[in-house]
Formats: sequence, structure tokens, C-alpha cells
Amino acid sequence: MFYRENGQFKTSYKSDQQIFPIPQDRWAIFAIIAFAFFAIPFMVDEYLFRAILIPFLILSLAALGVNILVGYCGQITLGAGAFMAVGAYAAYNFLIRVSGMPALGAILLGGFTAAAVGIVFGIPSLRVRGLYLAVATLAAQFFWDWAFLRVKWFTNDASSGSVSVADIDVFGWIVNTPTDKYLFCLGTLVVFSFMAKNLVRGNMGRQWMAIRDMDVAATVIGIRPLYAKLSAFAVSSFYLGVAGALWGMINLGSWEPAAFSIDRSFQLLFMVIIGGLGAIAGSFFGAAFIVILPIFLNQILPVIGGLFGLEVSIALVSHVEIMIFGALIVFFLIVEPHGIARLWSTGREKLRLWPFPH
Amino acid sequence: MSGRKIGEVILDLKNISLSFGGVKALQNISFDVREHEIRAIIGPNGAGKSSMLNVINGVYRPQEGDIILRGVHHANMDSYGAAKAGLARTFQNIALFKGMSVLDNIMTGRNLKMKANMLQQAIWFGVAQREELAHRLKVEEIIDFLEIQHIRKTPVGRLPYGLQKRVDLARALAMEPQILLLDEPMAGMNVEEKQDMCRFILDVNDQFGTTVVLIEHDMGVVMDISDRVVVLDYGKKIGDGTPDEVRANPDVISAYLGASH
Repeated sequence: MFYRENGQFKTSYKSDQQIFPIPQDRWAIFAIIAFAFFAIPFMVDEYLFRAILIPFLILSLAALGVNILVGYCGQITLGAGAFMAVGAYAAYNFLIRVSGMPALGAILLGGFTAAAVGIVFGIPSLRVRGLYLAVATLAAQFFWDWAFLRVKWFTNDASSGSVSVADIDVFGWIVNTPTDKYLFCLGTLVVFSFMAKNLVRGNMGRQWMAIRDMDVAATVIGIRPLYAKLSAFAVSSFYLGVAGALWGMINLGSWEPAAFSIDRSFQLLFMVIIGGLGAIAGSFFGAAFIVILPIFLNQILPVIGGLFGLEVSIALVSHVEIMIFGALIVFFLIVEPHGIARLWSTGREKLRLWPFPH
Repeated sequence: MSGRKIGEVILDLKNISLSFGGVKALQNISFDVREHEIRAIIGPNGAGKSSMLNVINGVYRPQEGDIILRGVHHANMDSYGAAKAGLARTFQNIALFKGMSVLDNIMTGRNLKMKANMLQQAIWFGVAQREELAHRLKVEEIIDFLEIQHIRKTPVGRLPYGLQKRVDLARALAMEPQILLLDEPMAGMNVEEKQDMCRFILDVNDQFGTTVVLIEHDMGVVMDISDRVVVLDYGKKIGDGTPDEVRANPDVISAYLGASH
């Protein structure tokens, strides 16, 4: 069956405004989601869940948040890790300090707390942009790193500095096996992805993109930069906060501030640059790429080294990983600033015409 | 020009002065705009025409002067207030949102009229979808009007210059403005594109009753389509009146052709 739209006509604006206007795409996405929910849990082992799938899902959610801010609203942030930390620690504190707090409620409240913090740290964006804003958001990173390490109240006076939570309970469903964790994260990601897509295709998203592309023209048609930028910070931080709460409470179980260090901020920024700025799908591509690449290199480099009779150490692998990231980021920034998502959509455009491109 | 009737003064500018440091961009300029008319601002390069438009829609704040819009004083007009009050504009150097499609660019022009809150938009089904469809209908009317149906899904960055200008106009029209400010709508166009643009401006003025304030360098166009013309030179007003009066004004002639002192 060819991938094409011959003979598919839209007779209403409603059908033209769907997320996936081409039926083949729609069915493909439904198939992927159904596969992820119903087939994968029976197919993969625990290692794959823990090492790849759960980190991929949670980091995709975080990358969505970064993409909303950086890709859609054009505000560079290096504080993504800090907002994840705020989400994680806020959720933790809501969970242990408020009796009878459901885990889901704590996670969402963690997101809202991160959103509030994001608005505060987004205020500099009203005056500075580009690199200077990146430096201002770096302040958020260092401030929260410090706060969660030094202010004992946040960690409930834990002597080791690390906090831990019991298996969470979602309406009676105890999320403790890797499969449960995977399904919970997957469900969250699917819901949040559709919400993000709805936001960016609607009025809100157009305001963000208008501010990104041409802020003077945007203000002249009645968009308030204050509202547009701070709402992007809020939504972005909300996503990051929820992702942080999931990362801490579900992926790690017990964690220290180092889990949300500046490395995490850079990693998330790399994800959206490589995956595709200003594309929802780019967040998934980027997260998949960055989660899988180190594991892939770990497997493949010793084999390649063996071919040439070289001993490949773990340290070398991690150095090569950093070098490859660096090279790829330079490559994408120069050659394809819209990342893998653009390569993907270009490929699809070609496929729509294949095999008769004229 | 059929049923168009020029009405009362809708926009009155009084003693506007604007300076950037030592540069006096506008000095004590007053003029008015009547409802439904096409009002042109002309002048040599650097005369302060674009600054004048920027003052009218609040991009620049004049140091002195008063802007009276339908009887309301706006000493401190800002862009948001101007947009709310029904002023729309196009830009000399096209200021479209390059990463967005034509349709999205024009839809953005309707942002002030869209009321769904963030949660409703995130859920989409229900309020947000209904609103999106209602505004899409309106935007499609504008797309039909400006004859750009074939490019609705194209990213604006890929369009040729003349069409980008048209999209810029479409975005301004999507605001359903009462006063439309056009900053050199025909700059850099060939004769056919200019004719199309003139036709659109006259149609907008005629069908929607929109008041038009335009800056233009093409004297043929200005003299043809405008009802009254104000002439600026070095930040000062040197002439004001119908095209014929302005054409006969000795100050204007000397500003444009150079005086023989």
C-alpha cells in the first residue's frame, strides 16, 4: 500500500485541523500507542524497561517541556534540570507532609510548584534574550542545586541528603514492578503529549511562535510578550516538574540533588536540538537518541575495538560518547537546525510522492 | 468608489514630537484622519514617516503630543492598547512569523478575539475546537478576499516577496481593524503586483469601510488612491491636503525636487 493521499479530500475545516490529517499517519500512531500499551509489556525483559524504556518515556516528557520553551517560544533555558528538581522535591514534600495525599496529586502538585518557580525565573526573559537569558536561567540551576543540598527542610532532614519514597499508589494500583512503572509513565506521556500538541496548534502556541519569530510584529497584533513568555515558562516548567517527579519517585525511587544537576539541563537541551526544535515529535526522537546512544556505544565500541586488536575501556566509551554528542550538535545546528524531526518530515514528503515524484 | 462616505475625524494627532537622543525624528506634527478615508503620508527618505506610524500604534512613545482615537485620549498608547482599540498595521520590511504557515500567520491575527483558556486549549475538544473553527471560517474569508488560497499551508519563509506582503496584509485584516496602517505596501513590487495591491487596498476600504493610513513612495499610487495626503520632511510637516493641493504646494515640490536657492 502506497503512502499517499490521492483521493482523500477534506470537506470541512474540522477534518483539516486534525493533529494527523492524513489517515495513514493517524492509524500508524494509534498502532504505535496500542503496541506500546499492549504488546511491549509482554515482550521485553526487566533490563530493557529499567535501562531504556522508562528513562526514555520520562526524558521525552521533560524534552517536551524544554521544547515548548526553547523550540516554540524561542527562550533558551539551561535551567531545565532545576525545574525537574523542583518538581521532584515538591512532589516528595507534598507526599510526606500532607497526610492522605494521593501520589498522583503529589506529582501534579510538583508540576504546579515547578510552574510557579518557572514563572519567577522566567521574569528575566522580559528584558534579556538569547545567551544572556541562558545565563539567567543558569542561575536557577545553581540556586536550586544549592537549595536542595543545603536546606534541610526540603529533604525532610535526611542525614544522607538523599530522599526516598515508597512505591506509589495510584487509585489502588501499586506501581512497583518495572512493567507497572512503564505503563504509568507511558500513560502520563501519552496524555501530556496530546495536551502539548493541542496547545501548540492552538492560539497559545501561535502566540509563542509569534514571539519567537518576530516579537515586534507580535506585540502589534495584540500579543503581550509578558503573558506569552511567562505562560511558556509556566507550561514548560510544569512538564519538567512532572517529569522530575516521575524521574525521582518512579525511575529512581531514592535520589539526591545530583540527579538533576546541570548535566541534566544540557542533556535535555541537546535532546531538543538533535530531535528537532519546534516539533513535538522531535522531543521523542531526541530522547530516544540520547537514551539509546550510550548503551549502543557501550555494546558496539568494544566490538569495533576488538576488530583492530584494541582494548576499549569504559572511560574511552564515555569520552567517545561526549565527542559524538558534540559533533552531532554542531552538525545539526549547521546542517539541519530543525533536527531529526525535520529529516523525518522531509522523508515523509518524499514518500508521499514516491514512486512518481513529478 | 461606490457607497463610501467619509465621516468624522476618527484619529487626531496633536503636536507630536519624538526624538532619539539628539535626533529629532518628529517635530510638532499634527494631522487628523477621518473615518473611511484613505490618508497617505509621504516624504523623502528619513522624513519620519515610519516613526509616525510607530507613534500611532504605540511602538514608540512620543515625548510630547496627544493621540485622540475616537474621542479618547491616548497619551501613553502601547502596542497592546492600540491593537485592542482596532488599529492594525503592516510593516515596511515584512515582519511575518517565518516559522509558521500562511494560515497560522493569519490565525495569529485573531489572537485577541480568542477566549479559550489554557486548560480548554490543552483539552482541545469542546470550547477550543469550536473557537478555532469559527475563527478559521473568518480567516478563510480573508484568504479568499486576498486570493491566496493556493498557499495557505506554505511556510511564509518560502513565499516570494509580493505574496509575503499580501500575507502581511491578510494578518492585519484578520484583526478586523477600524484603522489599517500600511507601511510602504508596494515597496519593491512590480507593476502587476502594485496593481493587485492597490485593488486590495481600495476593496478593503470600500467593502469593510476600513480607514486606511498609508505610507508610500510611488507618487502615482498615492495621488490615485488617497483622499488626503500629509507631507513630512526632516520630521516636520510641510504640506497637508488633497492630492491636487499637495501637488501644487511649492514646499513639497522643493522637498522632492530640490529647491533652487
